[in-house]
Amino acid sequence: MKIYTGTGDRGKTSLFSGERIKKNDDRIEAYGAVDELNALIGVVVALLPSGPEMETVGMQLTRIQSDLFRAGGWLATTTESPSMAYLQSIDQADSRWLEEQVDYMQSKLPELTVFILPGGHPSAAWAHVARTVCRRAERRIVSLLEQSTLADDGANSLLTYVNRLSDYLFVLARYCNHLAGIDEQVWQS
Amino acid sequence: MKTSRDFFQVVVLHQRWLTGDVFEISFERPAGFTFIPGQKVCLAIHDISRQYTLVNPPDAADLTICVRHVESGSFTPLLVQAKAGETFTLSAASGFFTYQSIKRKAVFVATGTGIAPFLAFIRSGVRDFCCLHGAFDESGLLYRDEVAEAAGVYIPCLSAPESDGRFWSGRVTTYLEQHLAKDSYDFYLCGNGNMVRDTIRIIDLGFPDSRVFMETFF
Repeated sequence: MKIYTGTGDRGKTSLFSGERIKKNDDRIEAYGAVDELNALIGVVVALLPSGPEMETVGMQLTRIQSDLFRAGGWLATTTESPSMAYLQSIDQADSRWLEEQVDYMQSKLPELTVFILPGGHPSAAWAHVARTVCRRAERRIVSLLEQSTLADDGANSLLTYVNRLSDYLFVLARYCNHLAGIDEQVWQS
Repeated sequence: MKTSRDFFQVVVLHQRWLTGDVFEISFERPAGFTFIPGQKVCLAIHDISRQYTLVNPPDAADLTICVRHVESGSFTPLLVQAKAGETFTLSAASGFFTYQSIKRKAVFVATGTGIAPFLAFIRSGVRDFCCLHGAFDESGLLYRDEVAEAAGVYIPCLSAPESDGRFWSGRVTTYLEQHLAKDSYDFYLCGNGNMVRDTIRIIDLGFPDSRVFMETFF
């Protein structure tokens, strides 16, 4: 079956709940940013240093990619639509799981008392890029919430998750550099 | 919950020809198999697989699909030749092209075997919809009587050059563009990719605030 359909050739696309909206709609911007983040996490996975610790990180990132698929589906569905029944939204348990991973990685890292420059091992550098895109996705979701187009409970859980995810990605970058034996570059003001 | 990664071994029960090149084939329903009307399955044999939509209501005793025989194809001839008792591999049902109870009037647009999911809707009790049913000629209006009886409005659209006047002459897209009252609907589209693409274009231009659900068959 062909992957191209031609149904979006005139600048509109379909939400999962069926509405046809312009491709520059704020909702599309939001889940587009989530999609971009997901792709960047794929880059990080591809560049992870070898080793058992990184295998564990790889599995974590795969789970995060799956979470982001769920988040994208939820963002692509209007609140009152029966299509919501097909979706499993992000919840507080998902955020707590991220916190557990952050806490573990931080326990292996020296305390951070200065600002560091993003970079180092390619996986770390791309984790920083993913972090910034995660922040952009967060801003887009905040905008949607202000328009009251998202269900409050679901939106708040999702915001918590992406906020925590940006922290995870920051710590992941440090962790990748640490395991690759690369010193962090301290910001010199 | 079963996922599309779950598989069953299913036994052929019988076939029934609807036209010269379209037939139904039914399989014994395996224990634990569940589906929502409109969902599809992946059917496989000899390392070849294809996806088909079930035409049954959810409580049916067997599982039936509607197939267009492509003589030069690699899979449909295997279905044509299948004998009662022969075993195929069937995936769990999957997909989101299902009927969503809503307040707006539903418009079904189908061509060819794309009528299959709508038949499943009808057999699960969906009524009072408008159906634009496209085919080349009268013989291609699969399940016509059953669909017409369930629909509030049933419009067969025949694209054959010659018409005896009993049916609307032209493509479903032309009828949609020229004759469907301008309003907000829930459109359900199923059929060939060109029809889906062209119908979307017409909906975007002429039926704002409508919702669209689509499944491309071929």
